[in-house]
Amino acid sequence: MSYGKKDEDADTGLVKIDRTQVFQEARLFNTSPIQPRRCRILLTKIGLLLYTGEKFPSTEATTLFFGISKLFQNKDASLRQMVHLIIKELASSAEDIIMVTSTIMKDTGGSTDAIYRPNAIRALCRIIDATTVQSIERVLKTAIVDKNPTVSSAALVSSYHLLPIAREVVKRWQSETQEAAASTKSSGGFSLGFSSSSANLPVNNSTMTQYHAIGLLYQMRMHDRMALVKMVQQFGAAGAMKNPAAIVMLVRLAAQLAEEDAQLRRPMMQLLDGWLRHKSEMVNFEAAKAICDMRDVTDAEVSQAVHVLQLFLTSPRAVTKFAALRILHNIASFKPHVVNVCNPDIELLISNSNRSIATFAITTLLKTGNEASVDRLMKQISGFMSEITDEFKITIVEAIRTLCLKFPSKQAGMLQFLSGVLRDEGGYEFKRAVVESMFDLIKFVPESKEEALAHLCEFIEDCEFTKLAVRILHLLGVEGPKTSQPTKYIRYIYNRVVLENAIVRAAAVTALAKFGVGQKDPEVKRSVDVLLTRCLDDVDDEVRDRAALNLSLMHEEDELATRFVKNDSMFSLPYFEHQLVMYVTSDDKSVFDDSFDVSKIPIVTREQADAEDRTKKLTATTPSLKPPKTGPTKAAPSAADAAASATATAQKQAQELLAIPELKEFGAVLKSSPVVELTEAETEYVVSVVKHIFKEHIVLQYEVKNTLPDTVLENVSVVATPSDEEELQEMFIIQAEKLSTDEPGKIYVAFQKVNGEGSLPICTFSNVLKFTSKEIDPTSGEPEETGYDDEYEVSEFDLSGADYVVPAFASNFAHIWEQVGAQGEEAEETLQLSGMKSIADATEQLAKALSLQPLEGTDVPVNQTTHTLKLLGKTVGGGRVVASVRMAYSSKTGVTTKITVRSEEEGVAALVIGSVA
Amino acid sequence: MAPTYHEEPELMKLPRATEMDVTMIGLQNAGKTSLLRVLSGGEFAIDSIPTVGFNMKRLQRGHVTLKCWDLGGQPRFRPMWERYCRNVNAIVFIVDIADVDVLPMAREELHSLMSQPSLDGIPLLVLGNKSDLPNKLTVDELIDAMDLKNIAHREVSCYGISAKEETNLEAVLQWLMKFANSKK
Ligand SMILES: Nc1nc2c(ncn2[C@@H]2O[C@H](COP(=O)(O)OP(=O)(O)OP(=O)(O)O)[C@@H](O)[C@H]2O)c(=O)[nH]1
Ligand SMILES: [Mg+2]
Repeated sequence: MSYGKKDEDADTGLVKIDRTQVFQEARLFNTSPIQPRRCRILLTKIGLLLYTGEKFPSTEATTLFFGISKLFQNKDASLRQMVHLIIKELASSAEDIIMVTSTIMKDTGGSTDAIYRPNAIRALCRIIDATTVQSIERVLKTAIVDKNPTVSSAALVSSYHLLPIAREVVKRWQSETQEAAASTKSSGGFSLGFSSSSANLPVNNSTMTQYHAIGLLYQMRMHDRMALVKMVQQFGAAGAMKNPAAIVMLVRLAAQLAEEDAQLRRPMMQLLDGWLRHKSEMVNFEAAKAICDMRDVTDAEVSQAVHVLQLFLTSPRAVTKFAALRILHNIASFKPHVVNVCNPDIELLISNSNRSIATFAITTLLKTGNEASVDRLMKQISGFMSEITDEFKITIVEAIRTLCLKFPSKQAGMLQFLSGVLRDEGGYEFKRAVVESMFDLIKFVPESKEEALAHLCEFIEDCEFTKLAVRILHLLGVEGPKTSQPTKYIRYIYNRVVLENAIVRAAAVTALAKFGVGQKDPEVKRSVDVLLTRCLDDVDDEVRDRAALNLSLMHEEDELATRFVKNDSMFSLPYFEHQLVMYVTSDDKSVFDDSFDVSKIPIVTREQADAEDRTKKLTATTPSLKPPKTGPTKAAPSAADAAASATATAQKQAQELLAIPELKEFGAVLKSSPVVELTEAETEYVVSVVKHIFKEHIVLQYEVKNTLPDTVLENVSVVATPSDEEELQEMFIIQAEKLSTDEPGKIYVAFQKVNGEGSLPICTFSNVLKFTSKEIDPTSGEPEETGYDDEYEVSEFDLSGADYVVPAFASNFAHIWEQVGAQGEEAEETLQLSGMKSIADATEQLAKALSLQPLEGTDVPVNQTTHTLKLLGKTVGGGRVVASVRMAYSSKTGVTTKITVRSEEEGVAALVIGSVA
Repeated sequence: MAPTYHEEPELMKLPRATEMDVTMIGLQNAGKTSLLRVLSGGEFAIDSIPTVGFNMKRLQRGHVTLKCWDLGGQPRFRPMWERYCRNVNAIVFIVDIADVDVLPMAREELHSLMSQPSLDGIPLLVLGNKSDLPNKLTVDELIDAMDLKNIAHREVSCYGISAKEETNLEAVLQWLMKFANSKK
């Protein structure tokens, strides 16, 4: 019955289909007798219009719908099928679509094997609304367990679509869905299938029903973990499922369960391991991916997956090789030592004619290989950079960018590579990736600075992207004046003023000014003056204005001008962004009565911003690089997000503090600790604390959540007792007036440092919650008149050395180590960390516990048995703190560390060590 | 259009087959669906479920095919009656004569429909259903209650029937068949 073949002008006819014309033709539906073939063609045209995005206005759609509903008088099965299909599509735009409910319900009937049964089912669930779902319940339940897989699939998928409007009703169909998932239907014994009549359902041997059933079952049981576990175990058993797509769903579910519940990790891991050996590649890949994405995955757990993927590397099929390699590439980002067993196989792929494979092969090797192989690989890439798409070029550039930070000693080769590709053809995104990488080199690998700047100067000579030119000019303005030969850059910058568009010229003027302001060399200052003066004649307003402003600044006193032009402090951008988003998305209209107050945004120094930035770069920003999910307690998706949000929370808290009048006189918060939980999450009262350090004061901010239903706590305070009352004297407590069920509230306890601003008190606090508890009268909903006073003791916590230091960034560790060593004091401690499972684990935990910033890429251990972590921070008083942590790992004893801390201020080194010892 | 249809030319069809459209309306629970089921040879069902939208059946009487559109009688479907009455050969309005309480509502709905210009001239058959029940109206009482004398511009008849006992159904079919060839 394929008219497509016979109707030769159908193709051309279809192309020029016009909505209004089709609408006119629709009168055909009202003529008697019905002409099935012509009607089908017309319905097809409507379908084509709808599927290609055309929309019928509601009145037209309704008229069409009523016309189409008249077609139910004709029994032609193919016409009926088309009618169902189009009604399904019109359901969202036509009115009164409910009119065909009874009629379509009849077509879903189980007695026939009419070809349109699945279509009728799919249309039915589109025309139904929440109030009438009940009336089709029986129909769908029967269809779900229908012997024909096509019908069963249609019913399952339709049920899925009904979930948003009738979840409770659909949930009642669990046993049917379960039956559909378990049945390994095949239409073998289904002799009707041989009938040649096209009005009957064709034979269908697909096992896709299982996939649909598993998908629906998951939705039904989503909130019942035990049921999900049962489901994975039942259907995950060998041979229980035939359909690979269904098993892929189970793989994902198993992985999710393992993530959510530590108890389930072992059994789920076993299942995943079994799936690595399943006969379908699709399942193998999914299992491998799931294992590698698992939080805190151990080397042993990954190695089996790596082994399976390694076998795929020699598959004759390119797509298989590619899929395997891409997963390995991900693993290599955080466990290079596990992937390097595959290196010989990956080596064979670096010259693969499929450039996508070659690209991933090389970027993987760049991660797994040692420093020595870098040069060779870079050469290999250079060979085909011109043959791959920008997207892959970016992958490579990103890989190199991380490499630069990891092996700073290789910077020369990498810089050469980057400058080489910068000259190649390529779009904006690619060029931007290269330029960003060079920016990173300049920022974090000081040895490369001058050379990288030189390459960038050359690049802007012929740069078609205004945005990049502007950014480079800005960087030249910041870095150029600090170099040995500032004049060199002035020439490059001024050339832009002569040759470029207004935007670039304006940027160039600002950059030039940075060489003039605060310039000690009168020669240089004079030449900048001359150049800027020439810019006063520019045709563009902005360029002229900037030139004039900067010229007059140059003649101001240096101190003022420098503050204006070379200010290194900036707003804390993540926090700024967060606040802005909160502001513009506020539901409370009154918020807009006041304009956004930028003065409330904390200002950070460039050093602090860089430190945060670098951590992010090493872990997350690169699209091709997936960060491992480390850290046993944190559920954050990535280290970078966690870092960003931690800073943002701390800053938000600082803002909240500012708003409390009693705390105003304490001045600015110098440091806020991370949140410390003082109870388990399931207790009656959930309590946590944040320690805020001020110049002469310490404020403990308790957050208390009352989880008891139908009770309210009033006048809630905390008795916080320091173990050493000689150093800290309590000043006042700000109570929480009232804590209703599940509405957290805050309590502040303020202390004064008895020994003044320089002292760093260390002690342990014991904490007792005090409050009046009142029950809520169930009839009135109001708390009862009288309550009873109660106390509740929560865990102790320490105020330690780490609470007084903030991470800081610098590029040269050895230099600072010596400097601080020369003036300050040193403390040393050897620790046995038997709880740590690996060097990587210890590295992360220690940096966090000491509250110091890892330098020189030492936060990513290269060697798994020994490692030296280099750390830097500043105390709240501004004195530097440097630490060198040597670690050794053995499977028997865990991680052994020797921590050496040096500090500029007296006593600080020992205090800082004290926070981990 | 490409010359590939299988439909036969109009001329060859005439002597053999005639199709006619009949729309059945009336308040919910009047017995429309039950009547149609019985007319098409089905069993009377005591547990008939309300019609959501419409329900369509073809009845064969000799060379005439009656295409019957049985519409739902619940208030939400009443605005759609008119659409399905346009251009039909006959309209059948069914009333539950054992339920006097709903008669005023039935009368109102009928008259408002009959005042639609689009339905001018279409013959109307009012059926008093459920004559098997006690305390039912007679045909004359029904004619009064429904104020049929005031319905103009068409042929109007009124019968008492029972779908359950299959009383008087033949008369209904006979009446309908009169209009088989009266295409408007
Ligand atoms: N005693 C008796 N009961 C009848 C008769 N005809 C229908 N019924 C009953 O009346 C009830 C309603 O019948 P339906 O045919 O569903 O009514 P309907 O007019 O189609 O109702 P809607 O579809 O909601 O408009 C059912 O319980 C039938 O069994 C009859 O002749 N005698
Ligand atoms: Mg009905």
